Amino acid sequence: MLTRIVHSSITRRLVTALGTLFGVAVLVFIMLRAIPGDQVTAQFGIESGALTPAQRAALESYYGLDQPLLVQFFSWLGNLFTGNLGFSARAHLSVAELTAQSLPVTVELAVITIVLSLVLGVPLGMLSASKPNSARDGLGQVVALAGLSIPAFLLGSSVMAWVATFWGQNPNGQAFARLTDNPMLNLQQMILPAGVLAFGIAAPIMRTTRTAVLDIRAKDFIRTARAKGVPKARIQMRHILTNALVPITTMTGLQFGYLLGGAIVIEQIFSLPGIGRQVLVGIEQKEYAVVQSTILIIAVCFVLVNLLTDMLYRVIDPRVRAL
Amino acid sequence: MTVTPPGPPMPSRPVPASGAVPSRPMPSQPVSAPGPVPPPTSDTPKAPAKPRRRAGTNGLRQILRSRAGAAGLVIVALIGLLCLASACGWLPFEPNTQDPLVRLQGPSQTHWFGTDRFGRDVFARVAAGVVNSSLIALVAVAFSALVGTLAGVAAGFFRGATDASVSGVTNVLFAFPPLLLALALASVFTRNWFTVAVAIAVVYTPIFIRVTRGPVLSLREIEFVRAARAAGRNAFAIMFHHILPNLTSIVIVQVTLSLSWAVLTEASLSFLGLGTPPPAPSLGSMIYEARTLAAIAPWTMIAPGVVMVLLVVGLNLLGDGVRDALDPQERTRR
Amino acid sequence: MLIRTHKKHLPAAVAAIGALAVLAGCSGTPSSTNSSTPPPGTSSGGNLVIGVTSDVDTLFPWKATQFNTVNVMQVLYGTLTEYDQDLNVVPGIAETWDVSDDRLSLTFHLRSGVKFADGSDCDSADVKSSLDKIRDEATAAVARSQLSSIESVEAPDAATIVLALTSPDAGLLSSLASINTAILSSDDTEEVLNETPNGTGPFQLKERKPSQSLTLARNDNYWGDKAKLDTVEFRIIPDETSIVTAMQSGNVQMSVFDDPLVAQSAATSANATIQEQTQLAYHVLQLNATKGDLTDINVRLAIQCAIDRQQVLDSAALGEGQVTGPVTSPAFRSDPAARPCPERDLDKAAEYLGKAGKADGLTLKVMVSSGEYATSVNEAQSIQAQLAEAKITVELEVLESGAYVDRWLAADFDAAVALNGGRPDPDQAYSRYFTSTGNLNAVAGYSSPELDDLFAKGKSSDNDAERKQIYNQISNILEDNAVWVWLFTSFTYTATTSNVQGYIPMANDSMQYLRTTSIN
Repeated sequence: MLTRIVHSSITRRLVTALGTLFGVAVLVFIMLRAIPGDQVTAQFGIESGALTPAQRAALESYYGLDQPLLVQFFSWLGNLFTGNLGFSARAHLSVAELTAQSLPVTVELAVITIVLSLVLGVPLGMLSASKPNSARDGLGQVVALAGLSIPAFLLGSSVMAWVATFWGQNPNGQAFARLTDNPMLNLQQMILPAGVLAFGIAAPIMRTTRTAVLDIRAKDFIRTARAKGVPKARIQMRHILTNALVPITTMTGLQFGYLLGGAIVIEQIFSLPGIGRQVLVGIEQKEYAVVQSTILIIAVCFVLVNLLTDMLYRVIDPRVRAL
Repeated sequence: MTVTPPGPPMPSRPVPASGAVPSRPMPSQPVSAPGPVPPPTSDTPKAPAKPRRRAGTNGLRQILRSRAGAAGLVIVALIGLLCLASACGWLPFEPNTQDPLVRLQGPSQTHWFGTDRFGRDVFARVAAGVVNSSLIALVAVAFSALVGTLAGVAAGFFRGATDASVSGVTNVLFAFPPLLLALALASVFTRNWFTVAVAIAVVYTPIFIRVTRGPVLSLREIEFVRAARAAGRNAFAIMFHHILPNLTSIVIVQVTLSLSWAVLTEASLSFLGLGTPPPAPSLGSMIYEARTLAAIAPWTMIAPGVVMVLLVVGLNLLGDGVRDALDPQERTRR
Repeated sequence: MLIRTHKKHLPAAVAAIGALAVLAGCSGTPSSTNSSTPPPGTSSGGNLVIGVTSDVDTLFPWKATQFNTVNVMQVLYGTLTEYDQDLNVVPGIAETWDVSDDRLSLTFHLRSGVKFADGSDCDSADVKSSLDKIRDEATAAVARSQLSSIESVEAPDAATIVLALTSPDAGLLSSLASINTAILSSDDTEEVLNETPNGTGPFQLKERKPSQSLTLARNDNYWGDKAKLDTVEFRIIPDETSIVTAMQSGNVQMSVFDDPLVAQSAATSANATIQEQTQLAYHVLQLNATKGDLTDINVRLAIQCAIDRQQVLDSAALGEGQVTGPVTSPAFRSDPAARPCPERDLDKAAEYLGKAGKADGLTLKVMVSSGEYATSVNEAQSIQAQLAEAKITVELEVLESGAYVDRWLAADFDAAVALNGGRPDPDQAYSRYFTSTGNLNAVAGYSSPELDDLFAKGKSSDNDAERKQIYNQISNILEDNAVWVWLFTSFTYTATTSNVQGYIPMANDSMQYLRTTSIN
């Protein structure tokens, strides 16, 4: 009985997820065609005016632009199922190879960002909640407000200029180092962008933590525990924090999902060859297959992260687990 | 089926996305869990348990009662005054009037925030920029609130195919990286402030669908709505008379939160070169244009930067205040 | 352009006619400070890092049009002829050449010992196959139209190439110096070369990390003086201000900016040496004389009179540049003052508007691309403000570059703010626009039998003085009819840290002198 419910719910989710991904595929396909210009004009600029019709036709067939739109769409979709995500003429690499290089960068950035924002946000939230409306609450609130209000591009540009001026160093000016090649340099290059992003993401995490802790503290079982004389620290850790984990996890999962496609500006400023830039350059060069497949990959990650978050509740929250 | 699941505690305030990632504001429930029943993590079904008090005449007093709300109101009011002054032409300079003789001058008594590379008055441009940025944010949020709420209500009320299609579209929009969505939309059309607003609105509409659909699912099951349905009242009449009024506070809270995000999103788009086109100033595009000037004329960047952060702070504080005012539980807790 | 990366198209292919006046000799221009010829005897080697905002879009030289791509191709591949630093045509793979008396046959004698990077010899078969493929439409090479006067290519022996021409072409030698006519091995295909470039240039590809960097190493098979640098890395840093901070911290030693402000901040904060180089490319307000009110010459003249070019230059580029007439190449330079309104004259503008029956003013739609080059939108704003004073209301249409290029090519605009490529030879610069058969004539929106005639004369003449006079006439016709409103030429700024020596910027943006550059 139980397994059947779980099964059907998982199947339903998978079907919905597939439907969603198909929708994303259609949307990105249409949107790209609606943006003026194609790969030929993107590559040749105004020089494409000097191309003869035969030259233009040769280029269109080279890029597969001479096919009817429906054929383009379904051959792309069909190729996806065979594992062929398309080819980037610009990079002379397949989209799969490109993504294998760029996705880890963004995922690493997102992971470091999330860790930093949890380290910053959760304690700050608990601190704030420990004495609402006090000075320390005020401090926490102000930090959170700053995080919510200062745009990342402003903070990012200023931080980098400041570090280069006063420290005389700019790890991000060096060639990008992969985590596997040169972990030290890689971490140096990641820490500033992740810090800038984390400053913003810590804010909602802090607020979530604060509200959750306040909510739970008002619950009966905490009062009971207090009355029974359970040590304060134990209440804080064992009872309150474990219960607060669910909303914190939700928030963290959502933020992580958005970071995968939302760190473009920071990738741009700090020259990180992540997946956001892959999309950006793809749009710029009108490399349709690159953009389509990459957006789809981001969407897949997003859906997966959300599924994982949901599953994580079941581990964390006894009540959900009992269901 | 009545939906009041024994949910684990959720933040009773919808927590916004960060300002750092100008992504979309958080939906109050995970995206991968669509389907007719809100998952147990949703706090929204709480809302209609008792029909909400509407934001009445004492709303303003309520907002002022919280320190955050009061501070936010003051900041927003001051900035609003600046907008008014700019819109009514009370400022000494016009935002777009170029004066080659006073290029790149620092702040002075004549030009309070200095001048830019065309000799335009930065103060006047910041003021006009606030007008434009706020206008874009307002239109974007109004549009998404309207469309999102209607779609959310329809989905929740009619269920079935309507719900399936609305939820399907919502899921797709959610899974699409928000900044890229806005970016693509903004580059499809000839750019003006309105298309930028629409691009942002499309990104934010799903939020409003999400936050309204859940409550409607439970509202349609409560006694007086059932009674109305049994009495054969027109579906639209029920929606407008019984359901929408009960969603007011949820929507208002979401609107105040979305405003500050919309301002930041516009700025991010401008930073990528896709915001409000010149010569009309917006805070984001002013910062973008001033980036290369920052070394020799820092005021061209600092002025719009500071005002933008202030505006967002004000809107955030005001949002907090509004939420406190509309959510008694939250208020007592402070 | 969409997004803040400068995917700058080289404003028109780098083709140019040489055998012209010395660019640096153009008196009074605050142009290149390139007194620094490479110090003799330095062979220090070293690795140079150049900061660039975008990756190359292809490794195939015949399809390279984007600024950064052309720069990389320039040092990987070789051409029959080349330019020197003053854009004179000098020998390349061809050591000498003879022109027949009727000027319908051109014989090249190839240098011996020219090898491709893979070690194979470059002989006349490779040259013939290259030229034939470029002229074949199926190849879609951008230089095809520049070689249209070639009727056939013969290779009588391994060291000789004979071109038979349909008509005398004063510009052909210079066209053959363009990297778009690079000589490729007859064994190579586009597919292969996109993976592993194989050229006769001073460098060869060492490593490519898409979107991150492209590293070249010295090609020891190069026929000329070997490059001094061991490697050159083009590091992709999308944000120009980030390039400046990278120079500041010493991670990047060289970069080319087109924004004077960025160059200035590199000079102050990164202590970089800045070399200014006047560009052949010209900033212009293109008017489409086939559209609406602009069909009336008086309206166009009113616009000309209402715009102060110096003020556009001052606002958009902080005065860094020179106002210009149509022809920008030093040898044929138009007198910027030779036009109906040499200075801004609002009274005259009003008079012209009156003649056009538009005394109450009119509305003009001006399109401009955002981000393609630094000053575009600023120029448009200055023009808008100035025309407003002459009762001409400008509606700006700020377009992403794809949209801009689409509409530009379709001539779907009233007026457009543009940065068009100048070429050393005025025929190559303007016949494509202003002859009725030119492939961009629709975009230019203007032609006349008189102009057709003059361009034909100019192309077939081989007398410099006569040609100068012809192009002066053309220039005057263009200005008197206010066909377009030519604004100014600007600089590029090559920023180098103090340990970089021997680099010479060129007016056509070429980075070919990386081969004489050293770093210590």
